[in-house]
Amino acid sequence: MAVFGLGRTAAAQTGANAPVPGTPPLRANRVTKSYLKGSVIALDDVSFDVHANQVTAMIGPSGCGKTTMLRLMAGLEYPSRGDVTMFGQPIMGPGPERGMVFQAYTSFPWLTTRANIEYGLKLQGLAKAERRERAEHFLELVHLEGFANAYPAELSGGMKQRVSIARTLAQNPALLLLDEPFGALDAQVTWEMEEMIIEIIERENKTVVVVTHDIQEAIYLADRIIFYTRQPGRIKADLPMAFKEGRRFRKKEEMLVHPGYVDMERRLYAMMREEIRGRVS
Amino acid sequence: MAQGQAGGTPPSDAASHQGDAAPAPVFRPPRQPFLEVLGSLTQRRTVVLGVAGVIIFFAVWEVAHYTTPEEKQRFLPAVEQVVAEIAYLFAEKNFIADVGTSLYRIYASFFVASLIAVPLGVFMGCFVKARALISPTTGGWRYLPAASFAPLLLVWFGPTDFAKMALLFLGCFFFLVALILDNTLAVQRELIESGLTMGAKRRQVVGITFRAAAPAILDSMRNMIAVAWTYLVIAEIIVATDGIGAVMMRAARFLHVDIMMGGILTIGVLGVLTDISFRIASRLLFPYLRVRR
Repeated sequence: MAVFGLGRTAAAQTGANAPVPGTPPLRANRVTKSYLKGSVIALDDVSFDVHANQVTAMIGPSGCGKTTMLRLMAGLEYPSRGDVTMFGQPIMGPGPERGMVFQAYTSFPWLTTRANIEYGLKLQGLAKAERRERAEHFLELVHLEGFANAYPAELSGGMKQRVSIARTLAQNPALLLLDEPFGALDAQVTWEMEEMIIEIIERENKTVVVVTHDIQEAIYLADRIIFYTRQPGRIKADLPMAFKEGRRFRKKEEMLVHPGYVDMERRLYAMMREEIRGRVS
Repeated sequence: MAQGQAGGTPPSDAASHQGDAAPAPVFRPPRQPFLEVLGSLTQRRTVVLGVAGVIIFFAVWEVAHYTTPEEKQRFLPAVEQVVAEIAYLFAEKNFIADVGTSLYRIYASFFVASLIAVPLGVFMGCFVKARALISPTTGGWRYLPAASFAPLLLVWFGPTDFAKMALLFLGCFFFLVALILDNTLAVQRELIESGLTMGAKRRQVVGITFRAAAPAILDSMRNMIAVAWTYLVIAEIIVATDGIGAVMMRAARFLHVDIMMGGILTIGVLGVLTDISFRIASRLLFPYLRVRR
C-alpha cells in the first residue's frame, strides 16, 4: 500500500489527475482526525477501500466520526494523520469529481430548479445548449420535469433534496457522497427517496458513499456497511450485504420480508446497543 | 366533505360522509382577543391598523396643542398650522431646493458608504484572515461618536458640502460594515460547501456568499439609511446655508416653532418614503423570496 504522507505533487491538487492504475476510487489510509489540539479524536487510524460501483454505507452511534470521514473524502476537511486518496491521488480539496449531497437544503434559493442543475455545468464551462440538455435529463431522472422553473421556496423538502441530487449527478462525478441526505425528511418521503436513489444508482452506475444514522436505510441502500465505534472512531465491523446476492431491491418492502435482512438488522441493532451502553447521548 | 360530526352522538366508527347528509355546521372558534399570541391578520386590516396608529399620533398632538394655555400655544403649533407652514415653505421659500440638497447629501454619501461597505463586509465575511485584520479596526470606529467629528471636519474641509457628506459617511459607514459582515457570516455554511464540491473557485464562492446574503444586506442598508438622516441634521445645523437642517436652524433663531416642526415632519415623510423604496427594491431584486408553495 502506497503511503502518500509526503511529497504531494501539484498535479494531485485537483485529486482527479493522473489516476494510479489498479487503485480503488477511494482509499482511507491510516486516517486519524483529531480536534481541539488532539483532545477529541473523531477518527483513529482508520483504513479501508471503497470499491467501484458499490454503495458503501457508513453508520455508527452519534459522534462516531462517520460524517467526518465523508467530509475528508469530499475534501472539505483534511486528516490529521494518514490520508484519503482517490484513484491513488491524495485528496487536496473539494472538487466536482466528488459530488456531495448534504442533509441541509443547499439548492441556491435565487435560482430555479433548472438553473440550479445548470450551475455546476456552467462552472465546468459547458456550452448553453449542452447544459440545457443535461439539465433536462437529470430533471427527468429525479422526476422534477414539472418544476423546472420553480424556485426552491416553492418546493417541498423532498423536492429540494431531489434538486440537490440532480445538480450533483449532472456533473457526472466519479463518486457520489451522501451525508444523511434524507435526515430532514419525513418517513414516507424518505422511503420514496431511498427507492429513487436505488433507481438512479442502477441507471447511472455510480460509486456511492452514504452516511446515515438509520439502520434500515443503510441496509436498504448499501452493498456494504462500515460500522464505526463511538469516539474514538474506529471500524467496528465491515459487513458485505451478502444476503442481497449482488442485486438491489427496487422496492423496500421486498427487502423487509427477506430473512437475511432481518438477521442483518438484528446484528446491527446489537452492535449499536453495545456502543451506546452506559453512555448518555 | 364533512369531517366528523358536530354535536349529537359521536360516530362510533371512523367514517367520512359523502353527499349523504347535510354539511356539518360551521365551527366557531373562540373570539380572538386584540392581543392574541401567534395571531394572524389580513393584509387589509394590517393597513387599517397602521393608518389608525398614525391618526392616533396626530390626534394626541392636536389635543396637546389645544390643551396648552393660549399664550404658549405658539411653542406647540397645531398639526394644520405645521402642514400649512410646510405648504408655504414649498410655495414661497423655494423649500424644494433645500429638500433636494438634503436628499442629495444623504443619498450620495450613503451610496459612497455602501459602495465601500458592501464589498468590504462581504470580503471580511468570506475570508477569516481579512476579517481578523480589518474587523477590530472598523468595529472600534463605531464607538467614536460621528457627531464629535463635526468641528474637526469643519477645520479640515471648511463649510463645504464635502465636510457634511464626510460626516454622514462616518456616521453610517462603520455600522454598515459591521451589519454586512454579520449578514455574510449568517450565510448557511453548507451553501458554500456545496458550491465548493461543485467546483466553485474562490471568486465564485464569494459570488455565492454575496447572492445568499444580498436580501439581508439590503435590509441592513434600509435600516442604516434611517440613521443617516440623524447625521444630516447635525451636519446641516452646524454649518449650512441650505438644506432642511439649515432652514430649521434659521427658524430657531426667530422662534419659528412651526417651521422647525415642519422640517422634522418633512424629514419623517422623506424617511418613510425612502423605507418604502427600499422595500419595493427588495421585491424587485429578490422575487424568489416572495414565492410560496
